[in-house]
Amino acid sequence: MKTFLQIVRACAVVLVSTMLWAIVSGRSPRLLVAQVAPAGRTAPAAAVLRLPDGHPDLQGLWMKSAGGFQGLFIGSLDGTNLAAGGRGGRGDGRGTGGGPGGFAPPAYEYTPQAEAEKKDRVRRGYEDPEAHCHLPGVPRALDQPAGLYPVQIIQDEKYVALLHEAMHDVRIIPTDNSPHPKNYWAWDGDSRGRWEGDTLVVDVSNFNGRTWLDMAANFVDENEHVLERFTLVDAGTILYEATVTDPTVFIKPVQMRFTLKRVPPEQQMLEYSCLEGERSLQHYTDEDGGKKRREK
Amino acid sequence: MMAAGLLAMLAAAAADQTASRPASFSPGRLWDGKTPDFRGIWQVRDTPFANIEGHAAEKGIAASKSIVVDPPDGKIPYKPESLAKRQVNSRARATADPSLKCYQAGVPRATYLPTPLQILQSPGNFAIVYQENHAFRVFQPEGRPHFDNADWWMGDTRYRWEGETLVADVASLTDESWLDGAGNFHSTEVHIVERYRIIGVDSLEYEARIEDPVVYSRAWTLRTILHRVKQPGARIVEDECLEDTNGVRHHVSPSDPRNLLRSDYSRWKTPAAR
Repeated sequence: MKTFLQIVRACAVVLVSTMLWAIVSGRSPRLLVAQVAPAGRTAPAAAVLRLPDGHPDLQGLWMKSAGGFQGLFIGSLDGTNLAAGGRGGRGDGRGTGGGPGGFAPPAYEYTPQAEAEKKDRVRRGYEDPEAHCHLPGVPRALDQPAGLYPVQIIQDEKYVALLHEAMHDVRIIPTDNSPHPKNYWAWDGDSRGRWEGDTLVVDVSNFNGRTWLDMAANFVDENEHVLERFTLVDAGTILYEATVTDPTVFIKPVQMRFTLKRVPPEQQMLEYSCLEGERSLQHYTDEDGGKKRREK
Repeated sequence: MMAAGLLAMLAAAAADQTASRPASFSPGRLWDGKTPDFRGIWQVRDTPFANIEGHAAEKGIAASKSIVVDPPDGKIPYKPESLAKRQVNSRARATADPSLKCYQAGVPRATYLPTPLQILQSPGNFAIVYQENHAFRVFQPEGRPHFDNADWWMGDTRYRWEGETLVADVASLTDESWLDGAGNFHSTEVHIVERYRIIGVDSLEYEARIEDPVVYSRAWTLRTILHRVKQPGARIVEDECLEDTNGVRHHVSPSDPRNLLRSDYSRWKTPAAR
């Protein structure tokens, strides 16, 4: 347990330093071309930037604003989330999925067997794959702590690519609605996209079954299937919706939604490095098991 | 940050290099009608990843000529003390090569790995996704200074177009990455000017002018060709590198379904295991 708390503390240091970096410089404004929607397409509520193929231009640097799966989880031996103000905790409850934005946290209904496994995993919170620097999977790739790690979207007529700062995770999503491959099992699964009107719909399958959905030990197995919907609500907002089904784990699909907000153009993507076993003890004080003497 | 004079000198030298070769091919354009189209999946065919100065054939790795084009002798112009460190690295390469530890490969090494990369591009956007360790670089338009005091695996990249050539200025690199598997290295003072140029329908020329006053006696240049990966349905696949229970690191993704069935995370579904 002590080691786990050290990991949590180490993560906090990384988060804070990343935020500090984020304050620095950025990039010059991009040229964006607004185009008229092709005839026959339902006009969106607000003017939306489009690529020449008529599809909404999702490009830019985006940041999750609020909502999503249960975020920061600091476990105790009885399974209480200390970060959410559990017994003995000092958290303020942020990051638990409610909060500003009006998005309800997703509800999970597990099969009895999966429920037992979930309880067991709560006690083994240190096994969270993301804490071991593995790829977060879907939808967790986007569902990082709000306001912390941006995602860069680059798009053309064949692909929508999501470049996540967190875990330097990459999803290059073909928008040709092509079939999933055979014998391919990955942390991020396999994503195939299509446009339904102005919404990018992504079908994600072929997961390796090792993914946790959040720090609170909500999990899926290799039967996970995700249907994602990206909708450009206005020039500065993408509504993200995901439906997670997994017949061996959930009795009914899990729904989640949150918004991505456009990051000001003076900011840019930074580098994220994470590796299991990577030791950075010289940066931590002796109190935290590091090598640096605490300054009095 | 380096002196403006030195920068100008470097740029002039690099320009000479390019000018000495024909530059006749003109690639297609993006939908803005202006930006040269570099999109695609690319990969080198030779083996500079083992040693950019050239090497004899080894088990599983074909021999390769030096990709160092300046100096003309194909050798990296190390300072004497740096050359000694390279030899130390080289002797320890079976365990000391950072790529064995699943680190992101760094610049320029990521470009000539035996795994593909994909260039993502749209007017005003340019990024490279490297299959190895799912590393990527988002190229930022030129105009603002590099981050100070950052030591990133993949550096901080600012780019501009010079006609048909994308010129990228890379700084803020860590000194923990190597240039290849032979222990060639640089310090955190390294400054790299990359030039990407399409020289044929399916050929992308890559050049890196590498300057590091701590390690080298002068700036030097490597150049190689990447080829378009034309296999139907080719794409960048997930590459996750991680440590096994014996502390050895492997590239393990995408998973073999047989491993999946043995995984601890599936065992809970078998009543006998509970």
